[in-house]
Amino acid sequence: MKLFVVAAKELLLLRRDRAGLVVLFLMPAILVVIITLVQENVMALTGQKPTTMLLLDMDQEQLGNIIRQRLESLNIALTSWSTTEHTREDLVTAVHSGDYQFGLIIPQGTSAALQEKARQIAGAAGSTQQPVTDDPVQLSMVIDPTLLPSLRNGVTAQLDMAAELLSLQYTMAWIQRSLAEGVPSSTDLTPPPPQQAETTSQQNNPAQPLLTFTETSTLQEQQLPAYSPTQQNVPAWALFGMFFTAIPIAGSILQERNSGIMARLVSSPVSQASFQLGKVAAYIGICLSQFMVICLIGMYLFPYIGLTPFSLGEQPLAALLVVLCSGLAACGYGLLLGNLCSTYEQASTVGATTVVAAAALGGIMVPVYAMPSTMQQVSQLSPLNWGLTAFQNLLVRGNPLTAVAEDLGKLVAFFILSSFLSWLISSRKRLR
Amino acid sequence: MISNNMRPRNTSQEQGNPLPALEAREICKQYRGTSSPALDNLTLTIQQGDFFGLLGVNGAGKTTAVSIFSGLALPDTGTATVLGYDVVSQAGKIKQLTGLVPQDIALYDPLTAWENLSFFGKLQGLRGATLQQQIERSLTVAGLVERARDQVTSFSGGMKRRLNLAAGLIHQPQVLILDEPTVGVDTQSRHMIHNALLELNSQGTTILYTGHYLEEIEKLCSRIGVIDHGKMIAMGTPQELLHNSNHKNLEELFLQLTGKQVRD
Repeated sequence: MKLFVVAAKELLLLRRDRAGLVVLFLMPAILVVIITLVQENVMALTGQKPTTMLLLDMDQEQLGNIIRQRLESLNIALTSWSTTEHTREDLVTAVHSGDYQFGLIIPQGTSAALQEKARQIAGAAGSTQQPVTDDPVQLSMVIDPTLLPSLRNGVTAQLDMAAELLSLQYTMAWIQRSLAEGVPSSTDLTPPPPQQAETTSQQNNPAQPLLTFTETSTLQEQQLPAYSPTQQNVPAWALFGMFFTAIPIAGSILQERNSGIMARLVSSPVSQASFQLGKVAAYIGICLSQFMVICLIGMYLFPYIGLTPFSLGEQPLAALLVVLCSGLAACGYGLLLGNLCSTYEQASTVGATTVVAAAALGGIMVPVYAMPSTMQQVSQLSPLNWGLTAFQNLLVRGNPLTAVAEDLGKLVAFFILSSFLSWLISSRKRLR
Repeated sequence: MISNNMRPRNTSQEQGNPLPALEAREICKQYRGTSSPALDNLTLTIQQGDFFGLLGVNGAGKTTAVSIFSGLALPDTGTATVLGYDVVSQAGKIKQLTGLVPQDIALYDPLTAWENLSFFGKLQGLRGATLQQQIERSLTVAGLVERARDQVTSFSGGMKRRLNLAAGLIHQPQVLILDEPTVGVDTQSRHMIHNALLELNSQGTTILYTGHYLEEIEKLCSRIGVIDHGKMIAMGTPQELLHNSNHKNLEELFLQLTGKQVRD
């Protein structure tokens, strides 16, 4: 009960600190608008980091080797899975959980189908005979929904070119083989009549390759919002704002400790845990409010300034759970900061620096997959990365709540650890 | 208002209550990183109803003694009790019975006087009509009824000191511990604080008062202890101390006991 008394006091203090409130709400609100506007038009990624792709070759013929060679020449880091150990569903899950950016499935019998199409086309070359008009042989492609469109388009364009090249190679091989076996006597080298030629052109479109990469998804039945900077930036900058609450929390602790209020609080019959959890309860409310404000800006302001509106998808409650866990982690960090630092100046400097660093590492400013490998490893240590990954899994990839359980667990564990350390430090300082 | 020379005399012996309000037996306390102890075998007994003044130079150990009785610090060795409750093992109970007025202004500046008292009262478990009555009583004691709805940030130093005192009495503690409560306040506010304390003591509240102002201690306190280098070097009523030392006033006695050398 006294926990709520402390929480109510914290909220009252915040209400009186209008400048502080403005910073807490306005800073992420301004950042989300500006960054999203900037990213809307500057989507190109210039990093040298290779794209990650997972290959499941169920065909097990020569085509797989050819594709593998071509992809590796395109600066794509390829991982091949064995068909005896993994299924198509495993690949989709791996890509949709963000482990790989692309997944490629070569269905069984693809080589044979490709050979047959190439043979038919080669056989029809130069003749007026109706060629085969079946659809091209399709390879299934799975793409991580969180990928920036520029990267997605760049890679798919390269794959389309590779498909055309492969188609040409297969067709040429059959034509050479046909020529080596002798030109059929029935072949009429005169051009077909215009009408006939037009029909042939339509049915055997030279721009149409024998092989295409077709995007597939197990999540097609869900109404997921299409990827846009909005879906990345709204939760990202809301998280950034939430973690900035660590500074006022630390400031509140330091003000109490350095003014003598802490002495009065400690001499009252209330546990240290109640004081700390009371602050957490108040600032969790602030975090939830921050998230809602940023969401409302994304939903209702963005369309007026030419940006894609933000959507909470079909799992708003799950998203709120992520906000709650992220808020806990932010509050835990604030408690730790307040108990570690000696002055408000220290806390604000250390707090701002570490939150900005954690945000940069966590993928708030630049997507993690665009970072160098070492930084990608380091980013796994950032609580903002855990929160952002959870948001992306829910809001962009459309994964269920179970898919974000690990990230939520990390956030809660971070809160428990930092709160325990704060309590330990506070007790040692008090009773030293 | 009560007169300045009013002294409480309802000691525990007179009431037949054997439990001392505050008792310390051979308490030692040394802070980490320091070469000498803050308290060195301090022994002290304050009976219920006493208005006890603890005198000492800066760094003598007054605030450490106050901290131990308030549950802010633990003794390294020795025992200390408040109304019979041990400060180490029964701190929770002690916190309900004592009120602390810290040396620093322990108030939230952005909150009003009423909001501050309401918060500290709720921490002590007060609710509803009782809380409201206690807030009004404390504001009356501090002479701040008219300013109840003003933010503390707009208060003068004296008003803050008075509200600081009011916050320590919000739950009507049996033992009130004050650590230099009149530092930096004007004569009027000091006068008001003195009267309030004497009134509380006359109603049965035991008071442990630390300070530097000797005339203030002499005027207010029924018993005085002089602490130096963490040890109690003199204790008794002001009259006893002056009589035994042949000094005219407490200042002379104090300088004789603690020396004239300036200490920082």
